[in-house]
Amino acid sequence: MKILAYSVMILLLVPLQTTLLPHVSIWGLTPDFGLAVSALIGLFAGELEGLVVGLAIGWILNMYSAGDLWVSLVTKGGVGLLGGLLGQHVAHVTPTVVSVGLLIFSAVGGVMAVLTMKSAFGADVWAMVQSMVLPQACLDAVVGAGLFYVANQQLASDRALMSDRL
Amino acid sequence: MWMATLRAPYNARRVALGGFALLLLVLFLFPSQSQGVLQYFDGPIGQVIRIPLEVVASIDQGISGVWHSYVALQGVQTENEQLRQDIEWLKGQNNQLREAAAATERLTALLHFKEQALPTLLAAQVIGRDATSWYRSVILNKGESDGIKSDMGVITAAGVVGRVVKTNSATSVVLLVTDPNNAIAGLIQRTRDEGIVEGTQQGLARLKYIPMLSSVRSGDHVVTSGLVGGFPRGLALGTISRIDKEEGALFQSAELMPEVDVSRLEEVLVIQAPYGMSVHTDGKNIPSGKP
Repeated sequence: MKILAYSVMILLLVPLQTTLLPHVSIWGLTPDFGLAVSALIGLFAGELEGLVVGLAIGWILNMYSAGDLWVSLVTKGGVGLLGGLLGQHVAHVTPTVVSVGLLIFSAVGGVMAVLTMKSAFGADVWAMVQSMVLPQACLDAVVGAGLFYVANQQLASDRALMSDRL
Repeated sequence: MWMATLRAPYNARRVALGGFALLLLVLFLFPSQSQGVLQYFDGPIGQVIRIPLEVVASIDQGISGVWHSYVALQGVQTENEQLRQDIEWLKGQNNQLREAAAATERLTALLHFKEQALPTLLAAQVIGRDATSWYRSVILNKGESDGIKSDMGVITAAGVVGRVVKTNSATSVVLLVTDPNNAIAGLIQRTRDEGIVEGTQQGLARLKYIPMLSSVRSGDHVVTSGLVGGFPRGLALGTISRIDKEEGALFQSAELMPEVDVSRLEEVLVIQAPYGMSVHTDGKNIPSGKP
């Protein structure tokens, strides 16, 4: 059942990321839902599940991108794994914690993506970091925190419902 | 706020960390082999994902069609009048060009030049944009099963769109001419100087490596040179808007305004064979034009 749910989620993530989100891009940047979803799955379901689903998301989304496969696999899988570790080791996970984590991870992933580009040389890299990587990291952090807040509210109401039934 | 729970057993953490370390090792030691293994599964997965992708794309195009056809019609009358004037001017130009073409045809026959065969084209629909913000690319609804392969050129009636960089059985990814990672051999139509056209961070294009002695100027048209890549000679790339000439440099460069508005692409043509070659299933192109 869980595998089916994850499969449907990945299936829906592709049209969301490639067809719908470009309409709401800010300065040509679209939030990376794949990154945010991988981190949240790691956070709520543990590091192994986060890693596996993150790798699946990275692989499938890369089929619809001109980027290198390994960058996508490492960033999405890595963020799932780190999300799981964060869930295990941080006592109070808040939207702020999630947004800071995603900000750092998205920035690192962005720098990796920029460094693998053919066009990146010296000054260009710094210009791309300023104009693309940092705004993208901020956007991912905001989206991730928002998704975490919604998921957390849903989880809290489910728990309340369950305790009422018991 | 949500409290951390220690649900995952210690073994799961070790498996996850070990798995990730192994993945990194495999990706760095055997990059092409590991990607090749995953690309083997791209075909069936791509066919499954094609269904929701095309459904969402058709709904999206339906909504934008309604918007552009009925709602966003402000200023259409003025535009219509301007276009009518343009048509009149173009009719005159067309007559002159027909005369020139007829003269060229006569001279070609006289000089026994080889006739250039028309390229083999395949129409495709744009169903999405790059899944990341790092690259400027579009996704087409046709892939390997339709005969599309990497490095094929993609055009519209207006000019060059880009180049196919990735394919699976159902879809393909086209890197746009405005992407800084793209490079297409270009030719200044008036001066016949060659250069390389690359995209810029600002979403325009740049013609690099123009000889210093070239008399290039703003307003010159740049077309494909046909020497490298999947494009025949003479397809419109853009119009030069600014020349950058640095003291002591070996070459000059020029900023180009691309002919195709890549932000509004809906249908494109994929060049399967630039000089009218028949595409065979084994991947080898065999000339079908005149010898």
